[in-house]
Amino acid sequence: MNPIIRKGIRERLRPKHLLASALFSLIIAATVYLSAYLDGMQEKKRYDYISKTHQIIEENPVNGARNAFTYLLGFQGFLLMFLGTGRVASVTAEEKELGLLDYQRMTPMHPFSKVTGYLFGLPAREYFMFLLTLPFLLHCVVVGRLPWLDIFQLYTVFFSSVILYHLTAHVIGLVVPRPRAASWVSRIAVLGLYIFLPGLGQAGVSFLSFLTILPTYFGKILPSLSFVGENKLGRFEAKAFEFWQDVPFFTTSISPSAFTFFMQSLLILTLCITAYRKWRNHALPAFSKPSALLLYGIFQFLLLGCLWMFFTEGKAIGLLGESFSLHKLGQPDPYLALIVVQSIFYGLSILVILPLLNICCPNQHLYLKGMQRSEKLSLAKIPMGADERSGCWLALALSALTIFTHFIFATLIEDSALWNAPLGALDTVVIPSLFLVSMALYLQASRELWFNLGFWGFIGLLWFTPLLMSLVVAVGWSTEHIGLILKLQALCPLSLLPLHLIAENSSFFSLDQNIQESIREAVWFGLSVSIALSLLLQFKLRRSRK
Amino acid sequence: MISVRDLKIHYGEHVAVDSLSFSVESGSVFGLIGPNGAGKTTTIKAIATLLEPTYGEISIDHISVLHQPEEARKKLGYMPDFPPVYDDLLVYEFCDLFAHAYGLPKEARNKKVKECLALTDLADKAKVKCKTLSRGMKQRALLAKTLVHEPSVLLLDEPAANLDPKARIDLRNLLRQLASTGKTILVSSHVLSELEDLCDAIGIMRAGRMMVSGNLQDIANISSTEKVIQIEVLSSDKKLQNCLAQFPSLSKITKLNQNGTRFSLSHTGDAEDAASILQSLIQQGFPVSSFHRKQSKVEDLFLDVEAGRMKEEKTR
Repeated sequence: MNPIIRKGIRERLRPKHLLASALFSLIIAATVYLSAYLDGMQEKKRYDYISKTHQIIEENPVNGARNAFTYLLGFQGFLLMFLGTGRVASVTAEEKELGLLDYQRMTPMHPFSKVTGYLFGLPAREYFMFLLTLPFLLHCVVVGRLPWLDIFQLYTVFFSSVILYHLTAHVIGLVVPRPRAASWVSRIAVLGLYIFLPGLGQAGVSFLSFLTILPTYFGKILPSLSFVGENKLGRFEAKAFEFWQDVPFFTTSISPSAFTFFMQSLLILTLCITAYRKWRNHALPAFSKPSALLLYGIFQFLLLGCLWMFFTEGKAIGLLGESFSLHKLGQPDPYLALIVVQSIFYGLSILVILPLLNICCPNQHLYLKGMQRSEKLSLAKIPMGADERSGCWLALALSALTIFTHFIFATLIEDSALWNAPLGALDTVVIPSLFLVSMALYLQASRELWFNLGFWGFIGLLWFTPLLMSLVVAVGWSTEHIGLILKLQALCPLSLLPLHLIAENSSFFSLDQNIQESIREAVWFGLSVSIALSLLLQFKLRRSRK
Repeated sequence: MISVRDLKIHYGEHVAVDSLSFSVESGSVFGLIGPNGAGKTTTIKAIATLLEPTYGEISIDHISVLHQPEEARKKLGYMPDFPPVYDDLLVYEFCDLFAHAYGLPKEARNKKVKECLALTDLADKAKVKCKTLSRGMKQRALLAKTLVHEPSVLLLDEPAANLDPKARIDLRNLLRQLASTGKTILVSSHVLSELEDLCDAIGIMRAGRMMVSGNLQDIANISSTEKVIQIEVLSSDKKLQNCLAQFPSLSKITKLNQNGTRFSLSHTGDAEDAASILQSLIQQGFPVSSFHRKQSKVEDLFLDVEAGRMKEEKTR
């Protein structure tokens, strides 16, 4: 057995722990399960929103078991996803702070064995408590006549989610220097990755919705949980079931559980790369440059796959997608839909480029170390993939990948009869391309010139302070200073690109001539500042290295 | 053996270790000594593969720590200055965990763990939870864990910091015994007396630099050209200082008390010269009650280094 798992069992499953945790798990599971079961099996009246009549559902133990399933799943999620994740994050950070992680780092075990040990050893008690809920689950599936295959799919996704959450917590514990910070960052990361990002699925970026157990639960299990004698799913259930059906991906569609499994595996792989590097040497950046490029390439591929149907046929999933979907709206406003979806595409791409450059670009000391090492090894330059190598090529490659994806979108828009695109593909791509390249270059230069804190300070001052200022000016003097407001907004890439898209399609929005002019001026202003900054910082960086 | 060459370690803008070079032969004990913040722990962590240096080379038994850290780790046993242990494990389980992680087979593991616990005088605490141990006992449990995979190089950061006097003597004997079996031992401390009786060689660090290094006898001789003479007379006499100033081998006359009856003088002459100075003072009628010629020791050198009086690196 893995020594770290064995350590976890020894530490957390001594006889008194076993007794206490078994009592806790059995009492709560029995209470939750039995109350839901007994409530569900009784005769009840349901309102049918279609026929607008009341329906009598007779007493039936099958209904009881089906009613209890969701509650039991919730309790199991609480044990492994909530308690288990918290345990992994806090203990990893604590061991790192105390130096216990250093002992483990020095052992000759393979880094993946160490990661496995931490993932399954630290929450050993939570897994034990989960095991004790299985008899209830078995009763539920047998009595409730739930389809075994769907249950198997759901629990495969459930465990993959658990591993994903635990791995996220472990990696954050390894990466973030202080335990208190690690605890906060892990909470924010779990919220961001598994609650905020899946929300973007409602805006057509469907792949982000498949990081949780929800698609499989709603898409696979929900219909099997309807009561015997009930004609239809409830209004909410029907909507949820419809949303979590097969995922459009390029010209095909994939089942929600397969897609969830695929997405989670991808994220697990990403986190494993980071954990592996951090276990080998905690001074290494979380990603190497080639792995960062590969991950970004996969990310762009997923964006392309999910938005393909939108650009070719005008189809999108989710609430926003539904309202923008051309065939559902009698009077479509295609340009607004285009701007929103493309803005989301750019926003997400920039928000991924930013941390990747921060992680992969070396600071001055690391660069110096690389120079000295390559001198020692008689190399003319630091090797391309080395962590010590300047991130300039990576910045260019990341922006090139984004431009390439956008170019494909632009070509799809141009080729599709749906959009009646007024502009050629190149017209919408050139300015964003220039902007993305210059932005990536100034981000890379600032990261390499200044340390982590300086970099984030620079981003805060350049991107977010002008946005906040524009808000104040807009509230106070909106009509008088529209030019200034737009210029301030154009300094932030997250608002400049939507402004550019509005400027390109301004004739379709019946905007005043003045405002159209102001938007164009703001776009050029933002672009000029970005290019000037990239030139200035690149020059400064090169001079500092001579 | 341990070899450190031109080691530099930066923490941001701060230089923690600067151009550090030294080597420790197999079967010997090397003591790194210096005030807090001298860079001892940083150096040990870099050798233990836990901290990547900005520049320089470190090798363990001719294996590069920077290029083959996994290989080097098999040969290393590292004990940090603050002894963290897994609180909820028994002492036996704590050592067994690492014996297992280092790949010892089950039967050998059991035997080795018991042996290490006996060696560190913890055999009777094997079934006790680590959290109930005193700080000194935790230190010993940590030492047992460090020895369990039979490393050829031991890196011990302030190993005696939490030990009582008897445990210190036991530790010293244990380390000498381990060195005699061919293990290379690097020990750090900011207390010189802990190392003087234990080490074959020492290095004195200050502000990240190695100020002095070499074997103890050589270091004691470093400032042997300049000794100190302390004189005490029964009553103060202004003529005494004038008289002392006339001897060419004496310099830096310092009053050691308010009354002007005790003096310290730097002396560059030999024992005969010292005898003639004493004879001359007595002949001139000065009431000399004490005349002491003090040999410069490692401790003086250490104090010089600590006070920043020593500027250049001296290696023997």
